[in-house]
Amino acid sequence: MSVTSKGRRILAGVATSAVLVATISAAATPAASAASKSGGTLIFVTQQQQLDHLDPTRVYTGRDIAFLNTYLFRTLVAYKYSAGNAGYQLTPDLATNTGVPSNHAKTWSWTLRPGITWEDGSPITCADVKYGISRSFAQDVLPDGPTYAIQYFNIPQNADGSSKYPGPYKATKAEQALYDKAVQCKGNTLTVHLNKSVADFNYFGTYPAMSPVKKSKDTGEKYDLRPFSSGPYKISAYKIGDSLTLVRNPKWNAKSDPIRTPYPNSIEVRFGIQPDVIDQIMKTDSIPNAVSFDGLLPQDVPSYFSNPSTAKRGLLVLDPYTRYQAINAASINCLPARKALFFAWNTQAIIDANGGSKYYGVPGDNVIKPNLGPDYAPTTGNIHDPNWKASGNPAYAKQLLDQAKTQCPDVYKKLTVTGYSVDLPNTPSYKAWTPSISAAMKAAGMVVTYNFIPSGQYYSTVMNTSKQGDVTRSGWGADWANASTVLPPLFAKNGGFDLSQNWNDPAYPGFMKLVDQAMGETNRAKQSVLWHKAAQYAMDQYWVLGIMFSKAADAFGSGVGGVQWWGPQGTFLFPKMYLK
Amino acid sequence: MLKYIARRLAYTVVILILVSMSVYLIFSVLPMDPAALSCGVHCKPYIIEANRHRLGLDIPLWQQYWNFVRGLFVGRTYGEGSAAFSCPAPAFGYSFSRHACVTDLVKEAFPVTLSLAVGALVLWLIMGLTLGVVAARFKHRWPDRLATGFVLVGTSLPTFISGLMMLLFVVIKFNLVSPLDMGRWVSPFDNPVAFFKNFVFAWITLALAYAAIYTRLTRSSVIETSSEDYIRTARAKGLPEKLILRKHTLRAALAPIVTMAGLDFAGLLGGAIITEQVFNLPGLGRLSLRAVLQDYDLPTIVATTLLAATFVVVMNLIVDLLYAFIDPRVRVA
Repeated sequence: MSVTSKGRRILAGVATSAVLVATISAAATPAASAASKSGGTLIFVTQQQQLDHLDPTRVYTGRDIAFLNTYLFRTLVAYKYSAGNAGYQLTPDLATNTGVPSNHAKTWSWTLRPGITWEDGSPITCADVKYGISRSFAQDVLPDGPTYAIQYFNIPQNADGSSKYPGPYKATKAEQALYDKAVQCKGNTLTVHLNKSVADFNYFGTYPAMSPVKKSKDTGEKYDLRPFSSGPYKISAYKIGDSLTLVRNPKWNAKSDPIRTPYPNSIEVRFGIQPDVIDQIMKTDSIPNAVSFDGLLPQDVPSYFSNPSTAKRGLLVLDPYTRYQAINAASINCLPARKALFFAWNTQAIIDANGGSKYYGVPGDNVIKPNLGPDYAPTTGNIHDPNWKASGNPAYAKQLLDQAKTQCPDVYKKLTVTGYSVDLPNTPSYKAWTPSISAAMKAAGMVVTYNFIPSGQYYSTVMNTSKQGDVTRSGWGADWANASTVLPPLFAKNGGFDLSQNWNDPAYPGFMKLVDQAMGETNRAKQSVLWHKAAQYAMDQYWVLGIMFSKAADAFGSGVGGVQWWGPQGTFLFPKMYLK
Repeated sequence: MLKYIARRLAYTVVILILVSMSVYLIFSVLPMDPAALSCGVHCKPYIIEANRHRLGLDIPLWQQYWNFVRGLFVGRTYGEGSAAFSCPAPAFGYSFSRHACVTDLVKEAFPVTLSLAVGALVLWLIMGLTLGVVAARFKHRWPDRLATGFVLVGTSLPTFISGLMMLLFVVIKFNLVSPLDMGRWVSPFDNPVAFFKNFVFAWITLALAYAAIYTRLTRSSVIETSSEDYIRTARAKGLPEKLILRKHTLRAALAPIVTMAGLDFAGLLGGAIITEQVFNLPGLGRLSLRAVLQDYDLPTIVATTLLAATFVVVMNLIVDLLYAFIDPRVRVA
């Protein structure tokens, strides 16, 4: 998923689930305590006016997925509720297995376990799951969710790429039949037929979009206000701009749920609190059972973590995102020119402007972040090249430009005379970057201009190939713990987020060959090796520059115990949180 | 008088129609596409089009406006098939970001803003008039200098600074009100104590800024009126100074203050955006701010704009009528 938020706040509507390993955290992560106990009200405070979505079909931010899956929604499968690498393993939730592939992973089946119930005590059936999945197709009613996944289903598509199945609300019998053929229930077993092999499709089973929805409780657009619970809590009250209150769901069957540990008696999310006020609450510990849902403001991070009394109530860890600038290989279609941009870029200035390496992040050597587990491997070249300097190496960039002058005079002219463009969100923090970028480029003999795009329309603008500039600020977090949710989305033409527009690059076929090999490899260890090669290959083409492995800084009150970082969704390990 | 009021009300309707048309027109020419906003990272043209259809922006502007006007009288239905739902008349539209009919949102937000505006108005009038009169009575003496200092501080401190300072260094520091309760709407009829606690700091913040202006205004108005011939005559007749002030000076000096207070009050009813934002008050200001900056939510923007315009126009009328009452020299035509 892409990101544009530089600091603490995840932009509304920008999706993210991600992977992260707590072992790389820059600060100690409090371990789970044996003193975990039940009771009390756990309070999350946020400046947001509401959660982006409560509707399981529409929720798509990593934190919200983790939060809702912990308390309200049970999914077919789940990541283990464990800190560290163990958290990346799948475990059955509503299903008795983590998904059974067949037909070269074009067919996937899950069998539901007995005793699973809705909040009214009625049993959760295969038909409920099938109905829940079908809602993702109603994009004119329920936009925003992980809509890309519906393209995997073996349902014919229209010329514009949309599915011929319009969702359950207005489908004709013929259209419904298309869906019924692709998603089938036989007893308690759900079978999904895909139009291609997707070796890790079972990871998508962790998404609420693959969870059940009871048809008789579906209120369409308004389901976002009051979804029906299948988890250990249910919604007691939800008022946008004020609060969300969850109370225990007495119909939740603990015996059918081996993974959740619902400690607090109730959960409250308090909306609309000023960011400075939230940080003040955290610093003074004035509400001990409160947790900041947003993370600390960048300006408060150094003081919070340099003070031992507050630092022990915080987590400073690598966040779920790789932040980078995509180089548009359609317009900068020349390797030496892209390298010149890479080596001229002043990464250090951006780090310094955001609080320094200790708090903001470190330069990255790969679009796959180290916290993706086995799929990350250090690359060679790029930032490991002896000529690379964090503050830019204008002299070396000029040498590369000389090569470009011969190989691609048009691109050379663009970089040095007419100027190349950088897309940035139109926010003060991004605007603050421009003096350092301009200075670095000037030192290397290049001319840069900027396209400042309103944040809310940033991606819809830059995703339009005719509107995208030459270099585009971006960010990405893996959908699940496999580089299949990083490299293809970022660098494959149909991956959905290929801001490098690299499909006419001479190197592209070679890259896709490696991707195809990896996608078809069901042996996970061998697949990882293929991803290492593909990542190295992509980095060698310099389709991106200025990669940053950024950090998150979270805070909580002294009355909250069991606070740990959870890699798979890049947020708190909610099920382990309790009140002391 | 009735004819005058009827004529002014007719003007009001015309003004509101023009305001609503202007909002639609402005919204249509802004360089932003609400349909693309929730498109996210996997944005495809067909997703944007589906959004546009959902939001009712896939029809010509005049038709959108006509649907809006029609909805005010007969209500509106959204969606298709089993996902259809309605907003009853008077329907200002539906907020897809808040999942609610805009009329309901406005109904919820208005009491908050009204409470904020009334409380602040009372406070700033008491402070402003008292300090202004004292400053005028003791012109160029220490009470006047003190009032001038207050005016300087009050006018130079923006509410987002004074509000935040109040929150961080008073409310939170001394644990006067839980920051989590701050801004929570509690009806004064249900729990007057909680209502007062939740609003008092917002009232003070807002009143400080306005009281400074009203102190200055009252001072100059009282000084100016005090030099009028009829005041001199009253003094010559031997009337006590307090009586002159209360019966003659203040009555005339109040006229411009009432005009200004009416317009300021009307402006606040449209939403005290900054104060509501700082104190997390779910009033019309915050509703408008979010609709404009975050959601590009046209139905909410139109509704809050119309409401704000109505307040200003109606308060203008009331002020004109009050003006005639306060100052006998003025008569409405």
